[in-house]
Amino acid sequence: MSYEYLKFGKEEKDFIAKIEEISGENIYSCYQCGKCSAGCAFSDKMDRTVNQLIHLIQIGQKEKVLKSNTQWICSSCLTCSVRCPREIDVAALMEAVREYSLREDYEKIIISEISKEALDKLPNIALVSNFRKKTG
Amino acid sequence: MSKTKTKQENETLTVKIYIMGSAHEVPESLTIMKAMEYAGFKIKRGAGCRAGFCGACGTVYRKAGDYRLYAALACQTQVEDGMVLTQLPFVPAPKGIYDVDSLQPTASSILKFYPEVARCLSCNACSKVCPQEIQVMDFVQYSLQGQIDKAAEVSFDCVQCGLCAIRCPAEIPQYHVGMLARRLHGKYNTRTPETLIERVEEIENGVFEEGFKELISLSKDGLKKRYTERDFVDQKKA
Amino acid sequence: MVQYSYFPGCNLKTNAKGFEETAIAVSKKIDAELVEMPIWNCCGTVHTLTSDNIMKRIAPIRVLSRSKKHIETLKESPNQVVTLCSMCNSTLKIVNNEVKKDQEILDKINYQLEEDEETYETDMEVKHFLEILRDIIGYEKISEKVVNPLEGLKISPYYGCMLLHPEEAKIDDEEMPDVLESLVESLGAELVMSPLFKFCCGSFHIVDQEDIVASQVEKIVEAAKRRGANALVVACPLCAYNIDQQQEAMAKNSVVKSPIPVFYFTQLMAIAMGEPVKINHFNDHFINPEPLLKELGLIGRKKAK
Repeated sequence: MSYEYLKFGKEEKDFIAKIEEISGENIYSCYQCGKCSAGCAFSDKMDRTVNQLIHLIQIGQKEKVLKSNTQWICSSCLTCSVRCPREIDVAALMEAVREYSLREDYEKIIISEISKEALDKLPNIALVSNFRKKTG
Repeated sequence: MSKTKTKQENETLTVKIYIMGSAHEVPESLTIMKAMEYAGFKIKRGAGCRAGFCGACGTVYRKAGDYRLYAALACQTQVEDGMVLTQLPFVPAPKGIYDVDSLQPTASSILKFYPEVARCLSCNACSKVCPQEIQVMDFVQYSLQGQIDKAAEVSFDCVQCGLCAIRCPAEIPQYHVGMLARRLHGKYNTRTPETLIERVEEIENGVFEEGFKELISLSKDGLKKRYTERDFVDQKKA
Repeated sequence: MVQYSYFPGCNLKTNAKGFEETAIAVSKKIDAELVEMPIWNCCGTVHTLTSDNIMKRIAPIRVLSRSKKHIETLKESPNQVVTLCSMCNSTLKIVNNEVKKDQEILDKINYQLEEDEETYETDMEVKHFLEILRDIIGYEKISEKVVNPLEGLKISPYYGCMLLHPEEAKIDDEEMPDVLESLVESLGAELVMSPLFKFCCGSFHIVDQEDIVASQVEKIVEAAKRRGANALVVACPLCAYNIDQQQEAMAKNSVVKSPIPVFYFTQLMAIAMGEPVKINHFNDHFINPEPLLKELGLIGRKKAK
């Protein structure tokens, strides 16, 4: 068996407070039933499922949360939010995690690296929605 | 707002303006550009045609007691008491390198070179700052929607001063977008100017050589006479 | 003729021309004419889920305010703005709801809009065209206008996520909707139900994570085909693009055999109501539906009027 000691101090509490502020949700409402992850259309592609990420936020593990790809694979389809038995807006929590990164580290998609061929083909709605979620 | 006017010896009314923080008394009838030169500044960048057409003299200012930000062209705007000025002779916004011949008048052509247009928030900060009173947000939106003809029409008065690009929270270079829209519209949507092509051919075939030679040889009085006695009847049809 | 203020959204003028043209043609036939707003801006989808970002809420409110001004020039027009695009519908409905509940957010947004004389008084409603069809026109009236029933088409409705989520934006029950089903049946086509009717297509990941979209599309199309569908019907231009384009890309790599065409619901209505084929803009599609339609005799034959 291996153990990991987790720190839970001011930095962790500040992180949780910030996520709650941006999302407007109470992170401790979640009791880890897993229904969000079960309904999530992209669960198989995420390194941590939605409920696992929420648990990490609950214990303030900022580094692990920010390194995860979960929030960037989320497409804001809101299936999780409409199914949560505690009526948590789960998608808002994902958005808050994205915003937390974007408010420091401006762009998740590097717009200047999108190829001209792609820009020629893609519908403008795809660009509009992508930039709304992945740029600050 | 009360204006403090100081009377000079020859009774010119002056106002107090702040050029990059330092106060100067300048005659109230001057434009911002002339006032800066009156105060002793030599303008090397940020002046061009001095007629409101080239967009070089973009100016951002506040007025004393007023928190709002204003913008204008220095050569076209009269000074006001309490103005706190700064010039923006250059706005950083790299222009896309494109070949209009290989594009089409569509939204994709605009997004190819300026994908940041998709970030437009419709906040209208750009229109509020435009010294030409263009509805900048509208032409950016038209470009995003692929309505290139409307984008070209609405952006027609743009002088490329760049003030919109500086205020944009989505960091779009609106004046470059307008330029591309106008170029695409001119090339693909508007009619070919047949009469222009004909006239250029005529010139190349020397149809006007005689006439020009005659005009060049006239004296100043001769030219004056020609000018005052001109009529607009087409001599060929008369 | 009742006129509705119609908000196109940026995509309807570029990749989804067929969607718009068929919708307008059909709307005139059923006495619910869609009149485009004279000036409009992008709604800024996907809506922000943060509680504190006012900037990203300005665009939808500006649309609502501009629509209100438009309505004042129309005759017999209710205080509603009608959209065709599901993403626009969702974004506009959510923000409209937010400002109706929270005066503070509305005040801040109106402060930005005041100088442009485009403040919003929370007196507008947002409707998707499907809601108009179901609630105002009714499926019976739609059936009456059908001259060319879509026999032979086995259509699986694909809602996508935006039409049914969240609570304040959905146009039907989120787990068991039937608005598209009823429409398909009223046009004389055969209905094929698929359990993945709202399994997210991947949406904006098409820009930089195409493999995610490919995986989603494969599942969605497979589920429909396995149950006998030979076509899909959608209400969202981004879903249509993703499913259409990815099938074509995957067909090239032989990952998907026999791709199936994707229709907008107004295109189906237009064909069923005998409108000319060219307004569908089928050549904008990646998987051209025309061969299937010709094979079933739904287009390309002389109809007795």
